[in-house]
Amino acid sequence: MNEISPNLHVVGHESARKDAVPKTTGTATYTVDVSFPGMLHAKVLRSPHAHARITSIDASKARAMPGVHAVITRDDLGGLNPTYGYFIKDQPIVATDKVRYIGDTVAAVAAETELQAVSALEQISVTYELLPTVATVEAAMAETAPELFEDEPMGIVPAYGQGASGARRIGRNNCYRFSYETGDAAVFDDCDHIFEDRFIFSRDQHFHLEPFVSVARMDGDVIEVWSSTQNPFPLRKELARVFQYPENRIRVRVPYLGAGYGAKNNCKTEPIAILLAQLSGRPVRFCMTTEENFLTQSQHAAILDVKTGVMADGTFIARSGRILLDSGAYSDASPLVAEKAGYRLPGPYNWQHLNIDCDCILTNTTPAGPYRGFGGTQASWASESQLDIIARALGRDPFDLRMQNLKKLGEAYVPGESGIDSDLGEGLKVVAERAGYQDRPRGNGRGMGVSVGFKDAGGVNKPAQARIRITTTGGVYLECGTVEIGQGIHTAMSQVVAELLNTSADRVVYPELNTDYTPFDQGTNASSAIIVMGMAVQQATLEAKRKVLDFAARELDCGIDEIALDDWSIRKGNESHPLAPMIMRYYGGTGYEFSGAGFFKPDMDHAAPLETQCVSWEFGWGVAEVEVDRETGLIRLLQLVVSGDAGRAINPLVCRGQDEGSAVMGLTGVLFPCMVYDGAILMNGNGLDYRVPLATDIPDGFASVLQEQGHGPGPFGAKSIGEGCMLPVASAIANAVEDAIGVRIRELPLTPERVLAAIDEAAG
Amino acid sequence: MTGEMAFVSCTVNGAAREFHVRPEEMLIDVLRDRLALTGTKLSCDLGACGACTVLLDGKPVSSCATFAWQADGAEVRTIEGLAAADGTLDPVQQAFIENSAFQCGYCTPGMIMLARALLDHDPSPGRDAIRAWMGANICRCTGYEMIIEAVEKAAATAPGGGK
Repeated sequence: MNEISPNLHVVGHESARKDAVPKTTGTATYTVDVSFPGMLHAKVLRSPHAHARITSIDASKARAMPGVHAVITRDDLGGLNPTYGYFIKDQPIVATDKVRYIGDTVAAVAAETELQAVSALEQISVTYELLPTVATVEAAMAETAPELFEDEPMGIVPAYGQGASGARRIGRNNCYRFSYETGDAAVFDDCDHIFEDRFIFSRDQHFHLEPFVSVARMDGDVIEVWSSTQNPFPLRKELARVFQYPENRIRVRVPYLGAGYGAKNNCKTEPIAILLAQLSGRPVRFCMTTEENFLTQSQHAAILDVKTGVMADGTFIARSGRILLDSGAYSDASPLVAEKAGYRLPGPYNWQHLNIDCDCILTNTTPAGPYRGFGGTQASWASESQLDIIARALGRDPFDLRMQNLKKLGEAYVPGESGIDSDLGEGLKVVAERAGYQDRPRGNGRGMGVSVGFKDAGGVNKPAQARIRITTTGGVYLECGTVEIGQGIHTAMSQVVAELLNTSADRVVYPELNTDYTPFDQGTNASSAIIVMGMAVQQATLEAKRKVLDFAARELDCGIDEIALDDWSIRKGNESHPLAPMIMRYYGGTGYEFSGAGFFKPDMDHAAPLETQCVSWEFGWGVAEVEVDRETGLIRLLQLVVSGDAGRAINPLVCRGQDEGSAVMGLTGVLFPCMVYDGAILMNGNGLDYRVPLATDIPDGFASVLQEQGHGPGPFGAKSIGEGCMLPVASAIANAVEDAIGVRIRELPLTPERVLAAIDEAAG
Repeated sequence: MTGEMAFVSCTVNGAAREFHVRPEEMLIDVLRDRLALTGTKLSCDLGACGACTVLLDGKPVSSCATFAWQADGAEVRTIEGLAAADGTLDPVQQAFIENSAFQCGYCTPGMIMLARALLDHDPSPGRDAIRAWMGANICRCTGYEMIIEAVEKAAATAPGGGK
């Protein structure tokens, strides 16, 4: 059957991406390009107040404005479940009783032009009763703080396994707590040294260049929505709940995505576009501006208190932690991010005891949600920074202390978990050697830092389905719900399929994602595609291939072991039998399609903390070299060497792009201002004032090294690669700063002001 | 919505075009909405990110921050006009494909037009010059190195290029 060819002819090759020509010639269709005759444009009225009760809304003037076809206020939500969210359904389509942050949605208009829509919004009069504002986690947790939600919103706590638990509303504005505990806390008493540190993590905005956008219309009684979404089926489910509509009469279609990095999850523009389409009877496009992106979703800022106990010889013993995530005004995906930040805080090291709480605190700011790294970025920042603090206190080299305590290949992460599927020490050596860590030049403000970024990959209990159809002439339809968000999944999956079918990837097409036809999937997230969906695609391909070979063996009157598939011919000894004529001879002149279905899901396992064992573990090893100017506090990045383990790189160029792209994205939170708030007012939420890394910000010493250690669970040993190299960046740079000038900075971003303050503090 | 309409006569990708435009109408609106040249992408709408970069008389401009009337008498070139009439791709496009110098692709038309302008201006730029020039546009996906390498390759392979 040649199921796993010893000599790979497609997998591992740097073939051109499947989306190369459309994306380089301007013909690729994105949701922003979807347009219909008579299509209206939606705009929303946003709250100017961070926290207020709406006492009245009058939209009658707006309804009478030129070009206006429909208006939504809280009075137009009849028959809907107007709130949405992940575990907790607390975010309204438009404000019903209160607004909870500057930019909260109050009303929406659909008009023939965007300008008419904006003009109509100005005619909506809203009166507010202002309420006290809590703009920070500390303010929101204070005894006297106002609750963003006086009543408990509808929601659930999911089931957890060994050592893990969740809770809701256990403190002021605390919408969710994830906890994990294992081992006996008494081992802290046996430790020679205990380190307690507080780390602060700032909040980046995803800055996906294609804004949040959707186009909705009614197709008979079917709600049809084109959306720039990462998670079309979860979106369909949420829309079905909001609109009280059967899921099979909601059709979500997903063209190419102008990226997402986590942001394009759940309801964003879709409910408003759909409701306006229903009210107006016309197609409606709702495309946000970059400024509105900033008012819609951000990363989680965090405060991380970490206590770690170690022995004098450097052996790690115990760690406890309390993480406070700034969830912004609505719970969104915060409970999930909390689960991941909390679960990942230990890092890939050996511990006898762990006890971690991660709390989600609501504040009157932009709602925080999924962001590449998903809590792991915050956890790695604190964990890997503290390891250097410990190493220096013990007089140990930070590299050596890590080598001493890293999990070995195959060792369970925590009791009940799966084994670590990368050689962590090997990975660390790779980046250290490439950067010249052991012989690094010191003095004159120069230094190096190392870090091991860590996360679990593949999502939790994620089922994946895929379907393969092969036409009479050997054209292959690859149907699965993974969105091409830029990560190159069309290319990688096509290479996997082509390898298994012993043909070229050119034969494989990936039909547009449409929830009416595409097999169900839980979304493009959690670095799950190549390891979870990849297994479903492999199984579907092998099933279709088996059917082809069974058919051919019957036709050739031989055993299946005597034949092999060879680019849509059957090879039998020295003979080659083209399949197309064989198929038409049997099935008739129009031919036939062979099909295969694939499914993958990890087993339920209550002994595993998250109820299923983690499918894979994703790492990003990093070394940073900096030169710090003691006069100005400026950090000059001289080198940033990152490395991920692709297990087996299906397409090495695509993998390289993931490693380098995630590392540079990680730089944003370290050397750039991030989202700057003055109280509850976002000061830099637009494309001009917000700084993301540019080509000119990247040092010549930036490099990625792709590892293929071969231990991955995906097809041909593949592992996830999309998020790992973001994780070590912040701590590697902060560790390098300490190596360079002997001061420790515990707060991101590493601004010149903070560097100077740390220098002053160290000087006493 | 106010003021007199302006008459604009220009060429877009080599074809003569004439429009009456509102004074506040931007070049990107004309390209996308009237000519269906949707390869040019709108993002920040402030002339900062470069996703909407087109060539105006050979110079890269943000079409979101260029009034449509500014194109009067000018040659406008967009991503759709870069390949030869027979479909042969521009060396920049070819190099972006070979080097996998894109991911989501939303910044790519602007990046390719920006690189084309550089190579028209200087057929043999060094790596530092490429980095400085390409620093005008934002790509949030790639980390830029593979883009810079693609521009280097395009310079080396294009007629008159190479160091």
